[in-house]
Amino acid sequence: MEVVASLTGFFPRPEALVAATRDLDRGRATPEAVEALTRSTEREILGLERRNGLAPLTAGYLRWQDIFRPLAERWGGFTVGPVTRWFETNTFFRQPVLHHPPERAPGALADVFPGPAAGLGPAEAQILLPGPYTLAGVLENRSGETHEALVHRLGRLLAEEIAELRGRGYRSFLLEEPLLVVRPPRGPAAESVLAAYRAIGGSANGGDTIVWTFFGDAAPVFPLLGRLPVSVIGIDLSETELARLPVPDAPIGIGLGCLDPRTTLREDPEQIRALAQEARERLRPPRLWLGPGGPLDLLPYEAARRKLEILPLARSMVDGGPR
Amino acid sequence: MTRPRLFPTQEIGSIARPRWQIQGQHRQPLDPAARAELERWNGKLEFADPADPHLRSFLSGDPNALTTPEIRDLAALFGLRYFESVGLDRVYDGEARRIEMYEFAVRQMTGFEFQGHVRSFDNKYYLKAANTSEVGLPKPYHLEEFDFVRRHTDREPKLPITGPYTIADWSYNEHYLGRHAGWKGRAVRRSAQREFVLAVAKHAIRPTLKALIDRGCRVIQIDEPAGGTHPDEAALLAEGFNAATEGLDAEFTMHICFSDYRSLFPALLEAKRCSQWTWEFANRDSADHDGYAILSMFREYGDPRKIGLGVLDVHRDEIETPEVVEDRILRAARILGDPERLWINPDCGLRTRSLDVARAKLESMVEGARRARERLEGPSAAGASAAPGARPA
Repeated sequence: MEVVASLTGFFPRPEALVAATRDLDRGRATPEAVEALTRSTEREILGLERRNGLAPLTAGYLRWQDIFRPLAERWGGFTVGPVTRWFETNTFFRQPVLHHPPERAPGALADVFPGPAAGLGPAEAQILLPGPYTLAGVLENRSGETHEALVHRLGRLLAEEIAELRGRGYRSFLLEEPLLVVRPPRGPAAESVLAAYRAIGGSANGGDTIVWTFFGDAAPVFPLLGRLPVSVIGIDLSETELARLPVPDAPIGIGLGCLDPRTTLREDPEQIRALAQEARERLRPPRLWLGPGGPLDLLPYEAARRKLEILPLARSMVDGGPR
Repeated sequence: MTRPRLFPTQEIGSIARPRWQIQGQHRQPLDPAARAELERWNGKLEFADPADPHLRSFLSGDPNALTTPEIRDLAALFGLRYFESVGLDRVYDGEARRIEMYEFAVRQMTGFEFQGHVRSFDNKYYLKAANTSEVGLPKPYHLEEFDFVRRHTDREPKLPITGPYTIADWSYNEHYLGRHAGWKGRAVRRSAQREFVLAVAKHAIRPTLKALIDRGCRVIQIDEPAGGTHPDEAALLAEGFNAATEGLDAEFTMHICFSDYRSLFPALLEAKRCSQWTWEFANRDSADHDGYAILSMFREYGDPRKIGLGVLDVHRDEIETPEVVEDRILRAARILGDPERLWINPDCGLRTRSLDVARAKLESMVEGARRARERLEGPSAAGASAAPGARPA
């Protein structure tokens, strides 16, 4: 069984970049200076990921203001709306407002992902995207489309995006889906999620599609998650008891969100190993993927860095290394 | 005996920090904009003697003409006169001496270590601390600022203080969580968070409230902006409030904003010593949505307490007209079925608006309250009765 460890969402900006971006907003720093610092920080985070043996690599996604923003700014039909709470946290995002059925132009997101400029080749990069159910659930829908139709349509558009990126050499596509576990879909909504992921799963052409859930208990919705035609389903171990997960009908990779971004308290690698062992025995996944249980940018940079360093230790122990 | 007048007005907390205060506290010579700002507002509010030689030197660009405490006193006086001159019945100093509501409070306590900045949204961040040992309090805080306010106003001061639930929710819980062995799943986290909230309430907030009350503070607004973050913790929010106010005698209000209030009922109603719910409403009030309809929940649950009615949206520059304010007040009074339960205030602190915009909004609020009063009581009563709780001269 393969064991992988990676970041699964944004990494926080270090203090210097915090100060620089603040200064930019206040007119005390130039865009060029902030760009240079962002570029060097991306390389620093890549170095951190590489030193800790993580793969695929993210470079932190430091430029994204929130997980929805690039789509809301570049896909047709959207405007960027009011500041809205990011689930049960003290952080916020700008709510996308959808005025008519969404559409995308080829290449619309071409320059938003970390690439060679950050020192990252497409084959080793992790593409982050919002999942269709979460995006459909958090946006303000003025388009006239039903929620179910919208989930399906967003799935198809994301599939087009993934297919295009796959053509450019990207291989790993992680979709953030907190809403799947915070407000599990039922009935027609669940069917629309399945339809959306059929499109997405069919678009990766041999690449990995990872659905990463967090901020909620995956057990109630796991029968649906297990049916999604994707490579890996990520669950938040701070919210989910493994013993309550039903065994999937078909083999599917399991992501263990084993770092809690809501506390600076560091997790014990031995406890992660024990949980991974339990997952391996109960769920028999072809692949185990270790990562944070949610975006680490809920932590300050140094605290996130300390947490990240737990991952290689845990992976080594899960792989049968030193205990 | 004078009957309390309807729809008394109050502020909620902070206002924008004047440019001259920021530059002065950074020991920078005032730039022309800061100088003009200070002179203009002093012309309006007369919070400083323009002939004072130290003030004149400060205005002339000597960054050391006033000490930092003197600048803070000046800023507090400015805040006080800013609210008084609008005609508010309850006032404070605009939180002129505080860094902000979380960091200032946590820096008074022991058991916390600041970890760094976390992004709130876009390029906005806040400094966040971890609780790493038992919560303690070397000495109660806000005392000097309260003394200063009381010495300098004849209105009823309403002191705002950040509540225990918000302090805990906005911090990382290491100490209390770390005491639990094993994997930190949801049940463990909830249990540890309760310990944390109650520790802040008992060991930091309550001693401060007691000291303030001993100094004569009679009206205290406990700010819980995090109150709606975790709807399933409404009972803990109430428990923290009760622990912080246990055995204390004052008028306590609770300020919550930008939350799904419906999800807090009925658990929040267990905050027994809270006499006024001071909430944001205007932000959610629009032509196609009655932002005040939620008040019906108080009737539904038979809760008779007063309401601090948010009638100004603090996130928009557009100035609500007095007619809009009047309409909001009268709508709320109809829903509650009792106009005497209403206090009138902005949704939240006006810190995110410019001083000019905030002032125009407050003026509109006071005029809207007067109009609503006149509508219910007639012109003669609109300005004649006394504000509830007004301090005797």
